[in-house]
Formats: sequence, structure tokens, C-alpha cells
Amino acid sequence: MDKRMSSVLIWLVAILAIFAIIVFVLGNTLGIERFQTDNATLGLRFLFVIVGLLIAFAVYLFTKENKAWEVGTREVVWMAIGAALYAVFSWYFNATVFVVPSLSQVALRPAIAIPMFFGYAFGPIVGFFTGAVGNMFGDSISGFGLSPQWSIGNGLVGFIAGLPALFASRKKATDTVLWVGGALVLLATVVYFLNRGETNMMFFDPANNVFGDQPIALTAGIALLVGFVLVLVVRFAFGKNAAVGEAVIWGMLGNVLGIGFAAISDIWINGFSPTAAIVGEFLPAAGPNLIFAAILVPLLVAAYAAVQRQSGR
Amino acid sequence: MLVAWRYRSRPRSFIQSFDPRAWMMFYGCFLFSTLAFWDVRFLIFFAAIALFVLLTSGVTWSEIRRALLFIVGFVTIFAFFTFLTGRGGVELYAQEHLIRRFEAPFSILGWTPALDVTVERAFFGVSQFVRVFSIAIMTILIPYSLNPALYGITFRGLGLPDKIAYAMDLTMRFIPTFSRDFQLTMDAQKARGFELEKIGGGLIQQVRKIGPLMVPVTIHAIIGSEDIIDAMDLRAFGIGPRTWLQKLDYKMKDRILIGVGLTILLFSMALSTLGLGNFWVPPGLLALAGG
Repeated sequence: MDKRMSSVLIWLVAILAIFAIIVFVLGNTLGIERFQTDNATLGLRFLFVIVGLLIAFAVYLFTKENKAWEVGTREVVWMAIGAALYAVFSWYFNATVFVVPSLSQVALRPAIAIPMFFGYAFGPIVGFFTGAVGNMFGDSISGFGLSPQWSIGNGLVGFIAGLPALFASRKKATDTVLWVGGALVLLATVVYFLNRGETNMMFFDPANNVFGDQPIALTAGIALLVGFVLVLVVRFAFGKNAAVGEAVIWGMLGNVLGIGFAAISDIWINGFSPTAAIVGEFLPAAGPNLIFAAILVPLLVAAYAAVQRQSGR
Repeated sequence: MLVAWRYRSRPRSFIQSFDPRAWMMFYGCFLFSTLAFWDVRFLIFFAAIALFVLLTSGVTWSEIRRALLFIVGFVTIFAFFTFLTGRGGVELYAQEHLIRRFEAPFSILGWTPALDVTVERAFFGVSQFVRVFSIAIMTILIPYSLNPALYGITFRGLGLPDKIAYAMDLTMRFIPTFSRDFQLTMDAQKARGFELEKIGGGLIQQVRKIGPLMVPVTIHAIIGSEDIIDAMDLRAFGIGPRTWLQKLDYKMKDRILIGVGLTILLFSMALSTLGLGNFWVPPGLLALAGG
């Protein structure tokens, strides 16, 4: 490990330690209310930003010889394009300018295909930048609040989508990811069926007086499962075109882990119960994302492959 | 073709008289300080800063009208709905004091629409309005007042590595361009009979409708990027340590601005650590409501 990297790592660990001391020692042990987990939300948001960065950094550390980590001119430009596209799409599809009709509690968030596609096509660094910076700019132009842990969660979506480049045997790794992702999806769906009374915190409909407090609908609860079925269909229907299946499967893992990271961090940040975070927040956010990913990412991958064949780059 | 944000040089502008790095640092301090409060008495202070900055920014009404009306409308509707339903504030107050209950003179299937005006709901609406309004005003002023030629050097000067600073620079430049591309593509597809707003079809049909919009915009952007990549490669981007065309120097007033920003941030942190600045309602109103 070179000197610069170790100093970065030491800094990250030090910051993490400071947050941990503030929250756990001052808050929970000494009982100072202001620092208890549900009060110190601002600090906690940043704690999770750092945790998210550490996860990405750890993956980098173990595979740092790999070519996927190179950042040259092309990557710099792709990062910028990805982030700008993600911001623009989020703004058009999710802000009030242009509302895509949502189907019984399934909020439509097509923009998520962008970090997945950019991560898959251009590598984990481009994917991370696209998700994290794009989400940040998207939030600030549409006037929504600031949730840095969700920016990092979106960054992780793109980051994980870009990881297949790290594996020598991509096919084997992808098959493993398919079953691991599938197991996580099934687990979350089982949690849903055991807790069907939870409210859907991602569903807002001011016109009908719904502010994230309606019991979660079946459509939202099983959206992730539906998405997984679509992923399976894509994987086996496009068996010949390995890239399409690969992009969707790694995008799925990114979606489950990245959005899962953001939702689970809300257990500490907003004081949600674990089932509320999984059923009320993770499923209604990650489920529709996966449905969009399974349909839109293949379109983007196929279109980009055609461009590559044409331009020879 | 690149479309730019609406920046122009405004010699009499207060914001633009500062080094952009100093301004971004002040903005960061402002943002996090504002987020520390729910007490409207503290938030008024931040709203006053935001208004002062807006009025001295030199941005004319005709330039900012659309953006400003959109933001103000959005914030108002958002705060108004919070007031009507009382939701959103439930984490901040446990008890409500009723001022007046309005009941509709009719009922639908045994349900009578009613509006409880409580002190807490009213003040939560007000606090939320002031809070989001202050942040939104400061945010929308950035593209109007930050010189696009200085984006890169500003992010570099804030400590980001060259490549990341350049990527941030490009991101900010691409957003208005892609936004225009998006609208052009949508118009072009609509001219061909594309109906995005039409509700119908199953979930998969709905999702597939996004394709004709998302794929051309994305692929067009990627193809267009080749020219930018070539231009950057020809100028040996990333080969050695980067030099920037413009230079930024902190002057006395920039240091003062950063100092003021940091002081506000430290004070806010201290106050919120002491437990001040939580949601507040005037005791007089509580008494009025019989509490």
C-alpha cells in the first residue's frame, strides 16, 4: 500500500471513529438525548456517506491492479455525461414538470437505468460518479431536500453495475450474482409477506391526501420479485447476447445493494424499524427500479453495441 | 451545440464580487446550518440572508422569473399540503393544539371532510416554507452567478483532484444541453405520434414507452462525447499535472466571507448541540388555543 493511499484510509477510519464515538458513547451510553441516533440525523447522514465510500474504497483496494480502475480522458467525459443525463432524466421524470403516471403505488423512476448502464458500459468509477453526482445535481435542480446517503446509495448502484470487469471469468461471476441477487430478492419479498401492514413510505399523492402513509399495496410489495422474473427472462431469452444479460444481472445486484444501503441507513438516520425500512422503503424504491432496469438497460446496451460496431471504438 | 446557464457578468452583483470558491464554501455552510433548524425564529435569519443575496445579485426579474416562480410555487404547494394534512411534522411534535375545526357541510359515504387547524400544523407549514425557500433561493442563484469558465478551477480550488474537478465542470455544462436535447427529442417523437402521457397498457408497456425518449438522448450524448474526448486528447488531457487558464486569488473580502460562513456553521452546530432550534410554536398561540 503506498503512502498516499494509507493516509486516505487513516483519515476515513478516523472520521468514522469520531462519528461512532459521538453517536454511541455520548448518545446511547451517556444518554445525552441530542446525540441519540434518531436526533443526530445530520451527522449520521454523513456517517453513512463515509461508510458507503469505504465500501467502494475497499473493493478498489483489493483489486487495484485491475484495468477497470483507470481514469483517462474517456472516463472523465463519460462520468460527466452520465451524471448530467441522470440529473436531467431525474428532473424530467420525477419533478413536477412532467409526471409519468404511476401505477398503483409503483413510483416510476426510469432514470435509474442510466447509472446502471454507465457503470456496466464504462466501469465502476464512471458508474459511481454518474449515480452519486447525478443524484445530487438532480435533487438540487428539482428543489428536493438533501439526502447524501441516497446519493451514495445511487452511486453504489452504478459502482456495482460496473464490477463484472474485475472478474477473470465473467460468466461464472455473473451466474453467481444472479443467484445471490435472486436470494436477496426472495428474502425481501418474504419479509414483505410477513409484514403486509407496513406503510409505503415512498408513495406520495398530495391530491388524494396520501403522504407516505398508506399500507403498501401488493403491486409495490412484489415489484422486486416481478423485476427479478424479468431479469431471468432477459438472461435466458437473450442467451446469445451475453452482454445484455450481464448488464441486467449486475444492475440488479447494484440496485438491491445500493438502494438497500440507503434504505437500511434510514434505520439509524430516521429511526425506522428494520421491517419499515425494508418493506416501507426498500421494496417500493428498489422494486420499480428493477422493472425499469430489466427493460431499459437491455435497450441501452443493444443501442450502444450498435454504435460501437459502427464507430469501431 | 452547447446551451449555457444564464450567467452573465454583472459588475454590481454582490455574489459575483466574490471568489467563486469562497462563495461555494459559504453556500455549503449556509446549507448545513439551515438544515440544523426547525425553529422559525432561527430560520428567518437564513431567509433574510437568502433574500439579501437574491436582491443584491443583479439578476433581473425577467431572467429569473420562470425559475423563481416554479420554486416558490413548488415550495408553497408543498408547505400548504403539509399544513392541510399535518403530515410530515409528526416526527417533530407529539401533541397538537386545536385552533379551529372546519367541517364540510356534507358527507360522502359517512365520511365528512374536515380540516383541523392546529397551532403545530400551521407553524410546521410556515417553518417548512421558510426553510426550503431559503435553501432553494440560494441554490438557484448558483448557475446565474457562477461563471462557466471558472467551474473547473473552482472545484479544483476546493480541493478536488484535477480529473474529478474537470468532470464536475463538464457535468454542470452538460445539464442545460441535455435538457434541451431531451425536449427536442420529445417533440420529435411526439411529431411521430409518440404518446408518453397516455395512460394504458400494462406495466411493461408503460416502461417501454420511455425507451424512444431515453435511448436516443443517451446514445446521442455518447456519440457526441467522442468529439470532446478527441479534443481533450489532442490537448494531452491528463498526461501531466494540469494547469488552468484562469487563476483564482482569495482577496480580503473572500476570507471574510468564508469566516462569516464558518462562524454561522459553528454557531448553528453549537446551538443544535445544546438542543436549541428545534420545532417551536409561539406560546401565545398555544394559550389562545387553550393549551
